[in-house]
Amino acid sequence: MSYLELRNVFKTFANVTAVRDFTLDIDKGTLVSFLGPSGCGKTTTLRMIAGFETPDGGTIELDSEDITQVVPNKRDIGMVFQAYALFPNMTVRQNVAFGLKMKNTPKDQMDKRIDEVLEMVRLSETAKRYPHQLSGGQQQRIALARALAVQPRVLLLDEPLSALDAEVRVVLRGEIRRIQSELAITTVYVTHDQEEALSISDKVVVMEGGVIQQVGTPEEIYRAPQTRFVATFIGTANQFFGKVQDKQHVLVDELSLEVENLEGCAAGQQVVVLVRPEYIQVTTQKPERSGCNIVSGVVETITFHGAVTRLGVNANNQRIVADINVSETEPIGLNQKVWLLFGSNACKVMAVDK
Amino acid sequence: MGKTQIVKKKEKVRPGAWQIILIAGFLFYMFIPIISTYLFSVATRWDRTILPEGYTLEFYGKTFEASYFLSSLRNSIILSVSTIFVSLVLIVPTTYWVHVRLPQAKPILDMLMILPFGIPTVVLALALVQVYNPTPLGHSPVLLIGAVFIYSMPFMYRPISNALNAIDAQTLTEAGQSLGATTGQVLLKVIIPNIFAGIISGSLLVFATVFAEFTLTKLILGARFKTFPLLLVEYTRINGNIAAAFSVISFTIAWLVSILILWVGKKSQGASAEAVRSH
Repeated sequence: MSYLELRNVFKTFANVTAVRDFTLDIDKGTLVSFLGPSGCGKTTTLRMIAGFETPDGGTIELDSEDITQVVPNKRDIGMVFQAYALFPNMTVRQNVAFGLKMKNTPKDQMDKRIDEVLEMVRLSETAKRYPHQLSGGQQQRIALARALAVQPRVLLLDEPLSALDAEVRVVLRGEIRRIQSELAITTVYVTHDQEEALSISDKVVVMEGGVIQQVGTPEEIYRAPQTRFVATFIGTANQFFGKVQDKQHVLVDELSLEVENLEGCAAGQQVVVLVRPEYIQVTTQKPERSGCNIVSGVVETITFHGAVTRLGVNANNQRIVADINVSETEPIGLNQKVWLLFGSNACKVMAVDK
Repeated sequence: MGKTQIVKKKEKVRPGAWQIILIAGFLFYMFIPIISTYLFSVATRWDRTILPEGYTLEFYGKTFEASYFLSSLRNSIILSVSTIFVSLVLIVPTTYWVHVRLPQAKPILDMLMILPFGIPTVVLALALVQVYNPTPLGHSPVLLIGAVFIYSMPFMYRPISNALNAIDAQTLTEAGQSLGATTGQVLLKVIIPNIFAGIISGSLLVFATVFAEFTLTKLILGARFKTFPLLLVEYTRINGNIAAAFSVISFTIAWLVSILILWVGKKSQGASAEAVRSH
């Protein structure tokens, strides 16, 4: 029995389906991310859990209690917003105290709790300041402290880092994960940033067009994508469209690619072979070795990404990207002829209709 | 950057001739009637010379002797304050509700709030009298308050609507609700303090409008509920100097009340007003 259960939830806005047949179990104490492009229904789903939107169908259960029709202020669910939503007329301390006051918490307990949560987000010294006197990152920490002060049953975060600088984002997402783990609070985190979702989640729910595409651990989502959307949305994947040749080969134009796991595919079926750029090895000499796929092409672009350098290679008018580690590879220049090598285990085959 | 600043500075120091003429013309247009009224209220005689022939305070003495002076002042203040109260109670929650829950109705509300400008007050007054005359409301100040409320509605609505636009009312409401507050608690503790500047300016505009209101009062209640403007108009037929003194008193009261409302607003708002302004 899961802690938070969504069953066949759907929601339409003016005849547009925002969320369709959404069923998900969330275990107590875990951090689950909803990841997808804008308009995929992730925020709508989150708002239905919070109670700000009512589902057109389906149920939402929290701790075995049906909360589908419960008003937001009776759900005991905390929320952190993209725009911080701190009350501008109140100091940091008053902001954090707001929820406790609504619960009629006795003064001494309230003071203790405020000190605790401000300590937790490491901003005790800002208690007397007003929100406009804080940086964006600080405001979002206070918003987090405010949501946690009332000890909600579930914490919802709606793109909490989208309005912040890249550097602050990385620090704060670590903080969010640390606090979430310390408190073991069940958390749903909405983001369109895959790196964010993969780095802090126990489970990732990839959504597109109002539908769940895949649910899994970050590793599963990255290494074993189940749909072409997941494979291309999470990380980068080269796509080779072709036909199944036999049990181990896919014919892409005139090139025969050796792959694994072709069970269930009939010969002649239209498939796409997906290969991640980091699984591709690049050499400037024609390789002698066999037992892996070899494609030759000309380097068209070189993009420096820090840890790796990404090459854009034109192989018979098919663009292939490959990540190389400059320190480990011989120097490669633009317009140079190169050979790309990748094993059959690097190929993920999917039917084209997926 | 530096260059544009220098250019701006120069412009500030030396405005063009036509600008000076325009601004001076505007200031004359605004202040000449007020200054003249002040002068006329203390002038002994002012029909043969450019400036008054002599000065006296006797007309102010006479205003206090006028039988309806205090009661009309009281009536005007009752009318203005009640209208502000009714406006606040009806317009603040309605505007808030439309902003947060029914944003699609906002254009309709915006339209409705312009309507009072389109209806001549004479028509409004006569229509109300026709409809309500047979009822007990017909000759009561309640009907008048209702009428001046409609007439002054846009003045309360616009500043409040603008203030709600300036804060993200919807997200603040949701934040409050997720912390366990009801919509009413959110309105009282979060929204109203954050739109207080709008409420104050709306109240000031309504006060100024209603305190000087003549047509509706005259046509709906007339002598039954004499307000300050009615008394003033009455005296313009009796003695112009006393009428001018009444006008001066009226200005002064309006300014004093404005200062009072601003002061109350500032005091109860304190630092948070600043927080909202810089938000």
